[in-house]
Amino acid sequence: MATRSSPVSSASSIEISLLDRILDRWQKINSNYVVRTIIQALITVWAVITFTFFLIRLMPGNPIQVYVAQLMNAESITYEEAYGRAAAQFRFDFNASPVEQYFDYLGNLLRLDLGDSIISVGTPVISQIMRFLPWTLFSAGLGLLVSFVTGFVLGMLMAYYRNSPLDHILSFISSLMSAVPNYIWGLMIMVVFGVQLQWFSVGDLRGTYDPRLTPAFTPEFIFDIFKHALLPVITYVLGTVGSWMLSTKSSTVSVLGEDYVNVAEARGLSERRILTAYVGRNAALPLFTLLAISIGFVIGGSVLIESLFVYNGLGNFLFQSITGRDYTSMQGVFLFITFSVVLSNLLADLLYARLDPRIRVSGEK
Amino acid sequence: MTTQAAPLVSQQRAPLSGLWTALRIFWLGVSRNRAGFIGFLGIVFYIIVVIFGPIVVPFDNEVKLDEIAAPPGTRIQLMTRSENVNTYTTLESLNGKVVGVIGNTGGPKLVEPYEDTFEVEEYRWQAGRGIDRALEELMDGDIDALVIFSQTVKDYIDEPEQAGNQNLYTNLAISNPALGPAHLLGTDTQGRDIFSHIMNGGASLIFTALLAGLFSTIIAFSLGAFAALIGGVVDRTLTAIANFVLVIPRFPLLVVLAAFVQLNNFILLATLIALLSWPSLMRAVRSQVLSLRERDYVEAAVALDLGRWHIMTREILPNMISFVAINLIFAVTGAMYEQVGLIFLGMAPINDYNWGVMLYFGRSRGTLFNPDSAMMVLAPVLAIAFFQVSMVMFARALEEIFNPRLRSSL
Amino acid sequence: MNDEIVLKVEDLSVIYNSSRGPVRATSNVSFELRKGEALALIGESGSGKTTLSLALIRMLAKSAEINAGKVLYTRDGKTRNILDMNDGEMRAFRWNDCAMVFQGAQNAFNPVLRIRDQFLDTARAHGRNDKEWLRQRTLELFKLVRLDPQRVFDSYPHELSGGMRQRTLLALGVLLDPQIVILDEPTTALDILTQRAIIDVLNEMQTRLNFSIIFISHDLALAAEMADRVATMYAGEIVEIGGVNQIFYEPLHPYTLGLLRSVPKLSHGQDELVSITGNPPNLIDPPSGCKFHPRCQFASEKCSREAPPLTEYDAGHQSACWHVDKVIEARKDLYKKKVTES
Ligand SMILES: Nc1ncnc2c1ncn2[C@@H]1O[C@H](COP(=O)(O)OP(=O)(O)O)[C@@H](O)[C@H]1O
Ligand SMILES: [Mg+2]
Repeated sequence: MATRSSPVSSASSIEISLLDRILDRWQKINSNYVVRTIIQALITVWAVITFTFFLIRLMPGNPIQVYVAQLMNAESITYEEAYGRAAAQFRFDFNASPVEQYFDYLGNLLRLDLGDSIISVGTPVISQIMRFLPWTLFSAGLGLLVSFVTGFVLGMLMAYYRNSPLDHILSFISSLMSAVPNYIWGLMIMVVFGVQLQWFSVGDLRGTYDPRLTPAFTPEFIFDIFKHALLPVITYVLGTVGSWMLSTKSSTVSVLGEDYVNVAEARGLSERRILTAYVGRNAALPLFTLLAISIGFVIGGSVLIESLFVYNGLGNFLFQSITGRDYTSMQGVFLFITFSVVLSNLLADLLYARLDPRIRVSGEK
Repeated sequence: MTTQAAPLVSQQRAPLSGLWTALRIFWLGVSRNRAGFIGFLGIVFYIIVVIFGPIVVPFDNEVKLDEIAAPPGTRIQLMTRSENVNTYTTLESLNGKVVGVIGNTGGPKLVEPYEDTFEVEEYRWQAGRGIDRALEELMDGDIDALVIFSQTVKDYIDEPEQAGNQNLYTNLAISNPALGPAHLLGTDTQGRDIFSHIMNGGASLIFTALLAGLFSTIIAFSLGAFAALIGGVVDRTLTAIANFVLVIPRFPLLVVLAAFVQLNNFILLATLIALLSWPSLMRAVRSQVLSLRERDYVEAAVALDLGRWHIMTREILPNMISFVAINLIFAVTGAMYEQVGLIFLGMAPINDYNWGVMLYFGRSRGTLFNPDSAMMVLAPVLAIAFFQVSMVMFARALEEIFNPRLRSSL
Repeated sequence: MNDEIVLKVEDLSVIYNSSRGPVRATSNVSFELRKGEALALIGESGSGKTTLSLALIRMLAKSAEINAGKVLYTRDGKTRNILDMNDGEMRAFRWNDCAMVFQGAQNAFNPVLRIRDQFLDTARAHGRNDKEWLRQRTLELFKLVRLDPQRVFDSYPHELSGGMRQRTLLALGVLLDPQIVILDEPTTALDILTQRAIIDVLNEMQTRLNFSIIFISHDLALAAEMADRVATMYAGEIVEIGGVNQIFYEPLHPYTLGLLRSVPKLSHGQDELVSITGNPPNLIDPPSGCKFHPRCQFASEKCSREAPPLTEYDAGHQSACWHVDKVIEARKDLYKKKVTES
């Protein structure tokens, strides 16, 4: 048991009461689940930004130093010149103190100014990111959605028919699928179906859409977008659907054992109503915490999947930036991937709160 | 459902007898759980391969230029003039004759032990033109037999139209189609035996993954237990750190870090992976210890003031052995995922030729897109997949056997 | 109370197929339930009370099998065998004709739906879509169970205390005006004061709404208070059934006598508590003859050979025992103090 020290201290009583009031206010704010979740997300974002700042500016052998050395080598210019160029591209004032630099950095980020790309000279990193981000959100989001829905339905089936041959087969398959890394799935699809069986042309499916088409809301273009997203999406689905099946099964099995499901049956409710509002909704609740983890995993894994299929999303862009030593882009993409994950986590948490009434009131589950 | 009658009596003492019981339950459970048993066999298989594979099948580093990306099953063959096809069938039967070999094809190495019994005529590779010369001289009777790779033979004999040599080599024939050992999985882009690479390429990966899994489990376990037992500010701080690390997308961070830190050393790689992967297990351990602490026998130990170290090592740890073991396995598979992912992208050491490096070369050299050389990618893909599957099946079986409710990782 | 019979159970037997063999959880049970009466089922745990009640609404576990018997249910002069109903009829029967409060069901309400929606769900499932009717009806019922309708109605289950939830469940139970309400140990999870309140509410509801109750309890004091008639179950059989006073003051079965001796009386002091010796019977391989004979102080050789039939000894008072006379002799000291006092 945590030993609690008494709040009595040597400070004057007025100070204590003020502190108490502040703490009290904070407790109130903090006990609201929504507010607390948002504050936590903001703190996380701030911590990531600060962490990146240290990594890029202050760590020995940091990217700026590396880049300056490269510039000096490649273009035989002086240290000052090289440093000046780097500072301009990274958007910092090398005469300022680290603290000032830090606040400049925060300010720039708030203005979404992530510096200029080193490879594509003169292009702001943020415009590159905005070009690639939607594709990652689209393909990873679609993959997650499809795998969640499929896994949920199959998992419920497994729970309903548990210990039947169907359950055994699906359990085996889902363990198998969740065990194999997603990029291994991608490679298998590519080698077996694309190269050996030639069901599709690997080359034609590269990129996010056929460059001969002009982007527009035509059925043709939309179909093309889905066609190009197909391989990454299938890969994401194969990599995550097994976990969804297993988690859904175990949460459904425990919900099926709950009193209220029994009572609902005794109340003469229709099977459909029991399945959706009584079993389904409750079984889905714990999955939302897993959804948060899963989002990070899928977006993180996009570096591998997108570079494998040459799908022009943020992941592939990160890979290209790293191989091209484009440090400003690297930093920007990493921050954005992290923001996307934090934001998605936040959305998953808020969605969870909307679905579970127990959260809103007590603030703690 | 068990009642609460048991714990005080049976679980209180002797970690060793607890271990024995655990082993017995383990064996009973594994032999009944089919998927778990398959996983167990798989792990044993991988251990055997990793330890004995390199001894039985040494790493093939010999470049064989006429045998690039050969299909599975190809092997060196012996070729003679048609009239000798039934007599010169083995290297032994060539006693006192002249045998031709072509450089950079694996042939010279094969005839090395016989250099005392027959004369060896070696032709230079010369961008493939050496083969033409050797075949001509065989036809002319300058040499009596030619040791040659199957792919070349196929080109000249089996598909004469394609090679355009139909009329040139009419009196040549294969006298022994299986002179050398078969390349079970074919050869890679340098004509090296893929099977030997598979047999040799697991050790470093598995070692690194084990190391990373071990590190991460140790970190997670100590921090989790520490947080739960100390409580208060320490607990809250550690939990906050864990939540923070948990939300950072691990793989992109690893990739970015790999751009600055030269990951040329497996221990460094393992440490880096471990440093990013402990939080989810740490949270599970923390809640696990918290709930164990509520149990009677631990409360008794606390009441007797036996000290945190004693409580941890004697009362709590023995009850978490299976939990730790299961999560160690999951940590190893996680580390394998990240490690191979990094190598696949070319961000981690490629100086050691392992399954991941095979994937990397398979992609960077384009063999991925060539139907004939797909084995270079497919073989390591399957090796990695089955390793992960065995581990996960085994861990899930353990989970089911020991405690179905302790599920922690996704 | 009148003599109209709403439920007539004939020779009902339930078997659980377990890995160790068939468990005869209920065998050859027969009884009648009259309109507006409360029948209490008593007996030690494992005697088949829950199984019997679940069989009546056909909500037994999948491994269970009703292998003999009839359950005849009468409403508005029409009699049907519940065991012959198809799924649709069964669904309509549940809650509309027979509501059930399960044993140990702490979370009878879906945590993610408001109480209001769960009432609505129940009404809709039985074709009552009239919102105004529902409002009136619930208002009236919440008053009856002494809850603030407005507050409870808009709450989520976790916002209510255990006692409030149980009362809400009682209100929900009689929402559709069922003829029968089955209560399987409805108060065991509650503290003693809440128990009292629930019992009072239940009594009041029954007088107002005139439904029949099957009340399962191993708390004999509660059973005595609630019931008009009492049935004692042992090893899946009804071994004695009769009016509440007959059972509690003039038991005719050694097992009932044993039960009465093993509990402290609230109203009459008793010198010593005597628990029944021996272990509950194994239902996979039950004892021959009278299943109680291995634990019975009056057992004779005949008891281990032949099972005694349920026989009527007094008006409406039946017992299955070969040695009723010995029980009558032995029960004299049951209320010794009461006798000497009066
Ligand atoms: N689902 C089941 N499977 C197998 N046996 C069961 C099951 N449910 C109850 N039983 C057995 O049936 C007998 C009667 O149980 P139950 O009806 O719950 O008794 P009670 O309600 O009087 O305590 C017990 O021996 C119990 O072990
Ligand atoms: Mg019961």
